[in-house]
Amino acid sequence: MKKTLLAALVSIVFFSCTEREKKSAGNDTPTKSDATVKVLPPASNYTNPDRSPMDMVYFPTDYPLLKMAGKTNAPPLMRIIYSRPQKQGRQIFGGLVKYDVPWRLGANEATEIEFFSTATVAGKTVKPGRYILYCIPQETKWTLVLNSNLYSWGLEQNRQKDMMQFEVPVEKTNLAIEYFTIACEKKSDKSTTLIFIWDDVKTKLPVSF
Amino acid sequence: MRKTSILICLLISFTFSFSQSSKLPEMDKSPMDVSYYPNNYPILKIQNKATEPLVARILYSRPQKQGRKIFGELVEYGKVWRLGANEATEIEFYKDVKIGGKKVLKGRYTLYAIVNENIWTMILNNDTDTWGAFKYDSKKDVLRIDVSVQKTDEVVESMSMLFDKSATGISLIIAWEQMKVSLPITL
Repeated sequence: MKKTLLAALVSIVFFSCTEREKKSAGNDTPTKSDATVKVLPPASNYTNPDRSPMDMVYFPTDYPLLKMAGKTNAPPLMRIIYSRPQKQGRQIFGGLVKYDVPWRLGANEATEIEFFSTATVAGKTVKPGRYILYCIPQETKWTLVLNSNLYSWGLEQNRQKDMMQFEVPVEKTNLAIEYFTIACEKKSDKSTTLIFIWDDVKTKLPVSF
Repeated sequence: MRKTSILICLLISFTFSFSQSSKLPEMDKSPMDVSYYPNNYPILKIQNKATEPLVARILYSRPQKQGRKIFGELVEYGKVWRLGANEATEIEFYKDVKIGGKKVLKGRYTLYAIVNENIWTMILNNDTDTWGAFKYDSKKDVLRIDVSVQKTDEVVESMSMLFDKSATGISLIIAWEQMKVSLPITL
C-alpha cells in the first residue's frame, strides 16, 4: 500500500513537471526562457493546440472566403501568419514586451509576411516575396523590421538579415485588447492599413499595391 | 444631472471602444497550427542544430472532437474534405519531392482527402489560398494517392498532423478520433 502511494506520488510529481515543460514550449513571453526549450524527438504523440494559437490574415481581407464565394478572380496581394498571445491580466508593453528589445510580433515562430506582388510599405518599395516581420517597441513609436531569416523561431533575430525598417507612431486604445491581433483595414481594392493591436496599444502600417 | 452626463459619456466611449474591438478578428474555434520537416525546424534553426534543410511545412486548422462522432458522420465518407477546418490545408515543399512515384515540384499546394472507412484518397491540388473544399476543382489536381487507415490506441481530440522520417524519405501523419493515415513522401 505504502509503495503504491509512493509510486502515485512520484508519478504525480513527474507528470506535473512534464506538464510544465509542455507549457513552456508554447511560451508567448518574449523572454529568453523558451530558447532553451528541449527539442522533442520526432513526435511520437499528438500535440495539443497551442496556447498562443496561430492565425492568418490576408489582404484582400478574408481572401479565401471571397475566392470561395466567387467574388474575386485575382490572386491575393498579401498574407501574414502569426501566433496570438493573450494579455491575461499582464501589462504588455514596457512589461512583458520590453521596450527597445526586438519582439517577434506575436508568439512562437517569427511572424511571416508575404507580398504576392510589388508593394509600397510606408512609402518604400518592397519586392514580392516572403519575409519575417518583427518589431522594436518603444513607448511612443515602434520600429517594424522586414528581415529575410525565414522559418525561424521568434526569440532570436539575425539582425544581419534585416532588409528594411519602418517607424510608426503608437496610438492608445480605449479598452485593453486581450488577444494580440493583426488586421487589414481596407482603404481601397489595392490599399490597406495593416493594424497591430494588443493591450491598449495600436500601430498602423500603410501598405499598397 | 452632471453625473448622468458623465455616465452617458462613459457609456458612449465604452460602446464605441467595444464596437471598435468587435470588428477585430476573433480567435478561431479551430486554431491554425503548423508542422515542419525537420520537426521543430524554427527552433533548431535558431539554435544552429538543424542538420537537414527545411523540406516541408503544413499549415492547417485543428477542429476538435468534442464528444462527436467524426468519421462517417461529421466528416462524411466518400466526400472531399479540407483535412482540417477553415481555410483549405496548405502543404509547401521547399525542394522537389515524389509522392506515389510522381514528381512534385517545390511550391505551395492544397491538400484534401476523401475519407473512407479503410482507405483515404489524398489529393494534392494546385488551387491555393482557398476556403474549405467548397470550390474543389479536380481539374487542378496534381495527384491522387490512396493510403490505408490505421487505428490509433488513444482517441485524438484535436486533429493532428506531423511529419516523421521513413525509410524512403518522410511521412505526413494525420490523426483524429481513432483514425490515422500516413502519406509517404520520397525525397
